[in-house]
Amino acid sequence: MNWTEDQNIEELLNGFLDGELTARQQTEVQRLITHDSRFAHRLQELRNCKMLVSSLPFVEAPAEMTDEIKASLEKTALLDFKPHHLDRRIGARHLFVRRLAAVAAMAGLVAVLASLIYTIVATEDVADKSVAIEAWQQPVEQILAPAVPADRLGLAMETFNGRLELKTASPTAVSASISRAIEDIGLGDKVSVKTEVNKTVYDLACSCESLNLLLSDLENIWKKFDSANLSLETGGFGGDVLIEAVTARQIADIANQNGIQKRSELAKNFAVLNKTSRSLPGSEILTAIFDKGPDSISIPKPVLTSGEKSIKRPPAQAADEKEVHLTITVAER
Amino acid sequence: MQSEAAGISIDDAVLVKKAGRGDPEAAERLILKYQNRIYNAILKICANTDDAAELTQETFVKIIENLDKFEGRSSFYTWAFRIAVNLTLNYCRRDGKLAIRSLDDDAEYNEQTKQVLKDLLADEKSPDPASVAQNKELCAIVIGAMMKLDEAHRAVIVLRDIEGMSYAQIAEVLDIELGTVRSRLSRARSNLREIMETFLR
Repeated sequence: MNWTEDQNIEELLNGFLDGELTARQQTEVQRLITHDSRFAHRLQELRNCKMLVSSLPFVEAPAEMTDEIKASLEKTALLDFKPHHLDRRIGARHLFVRRLAAVAAMAGLVAVLASLIYTIVATEDVADKSVAIEAWQQPVEQILAPAVPADRLGLAMETFNGRLELKTASPTAVSASISRAIEDIGLGDKVSVKTEVNKTVYDLACSCESLNLLLSDLENIWKKFDSANLSLETGGFGGDVLIEAVTARQIADIANQNGIQKRSELAKNFAVLNKTSRSLPGSEILTAIFDKGPDSISIPKPVLTSGEKSIKRPPAQAADEKEVHLTITVAER
Repeated sequence: MQSEAAGISIDDAVLVKKAGRGDPEAAERLILKYQNRIYNAILKICANTDDAAELTQETFVKIIENLDKFEGRSSFYTWAFRIAVNLTLNYCRRDGKLAIRSLDDDAEYNEQTKQVLKDLLADEKSPDPASVAQNKELCAIVIGAMMKLDEAHRAVIVLRDIEGMSYAQIAEVLDIELGTVRSRLSRARSNLREIMETFLR
């Protein structure tokens, strides 16, 4: 047997030990070790050698191995990857926080502004339309205490004195509407009408409730007015107040106030509000879209829910009430 | 499920996929599953606990870092061992003091232990693994003899006789032909026995 043959037999014997032979090779090895004791002895030597090595005790990794590997991984990750991910995350988070802060600041500003405007204009709760309609048709004191008339409470009802100047492109139509409304309400004998060149003057002296009814009718033609300015006499409370772009509702609200002082304050508020609203950016757009004046932003106009256009009252019922004096001038623009 | 011979196990496949996506829990489970086996194999090749710990740590860092390159054509088990054995063999080749250290240790073994070894090698019956494992000096002699083998022979013996890999798996781990595994293992065992016999003289 030469060296090559020895090597082949050695490999066969090792393969036999390890169970890595084919069935035919196994049969061959079995035959060899059965018939030649040298091969059997060599096989045993190899087996013992293998057993010595495989009997070496299994040594487990140190207990801290896992933590050390994790620490190494974290260190590697920090050096290679983590900062980039962190940078992106931190940057995105920072941007988000800044945007959020900007939105919050804007919201806060709007809230403050809204609160300021509300403080100026919110003279009564207008959330409930039915209440608003009643307020339109009744004096405020009747809403607050409907069972007890104002005069019985002894409240001073100083006269409302005002001049309403209406300018329109169609004065004839407007004058006809006003005259019809006056007749419908039954105020014909309470109004003196003076017709001049290009303008008609109505001098009205009636009860506050009658004025409400008249204004309720005029509301329907209010959009035909190019301008509507109310000049209110306030007596000793800071001189006359001019309210530009006044609405029918505002006039009614002022007239319904108890006492000249309250009227004066409300008139001043409306004057400021209307002026501010007209100067606010976007008011032209709002007007163009909704075809409404500035009060459409904050003061809803009363809505008549009944089929009747106006509430008729017998003239006699309001005959003795002379609380309102209003001069309405209708002129051509 | 643990059938590495047939390819990657289902457990490993799931863990590898998750760990590859950066799941630290899956990575930790892979580490816990294989760290002892890899450490033990590295220790049997390099014969130094500190070096073995460091090499095991380095092995797992490389494994986790390269999970995205693992294509699953081989089993994770053999892929992980390939990294471990390559690192260890490179380390041993770089650091030639391993053989010197093992030679210096020879004088420490007493005659009684050498006689035990002589009897075991000559015995017609196979040695009892438990009694071998309990004899620390005998184990030290066997390890010392292994250290005198060259690294390639040492590695093939460790993978077969300690880790219990098939020839095919060894071929995969060492990236050699199956025939080379047969011949290398045959020569490695023959050399080891000769070293031990020489040691007994």
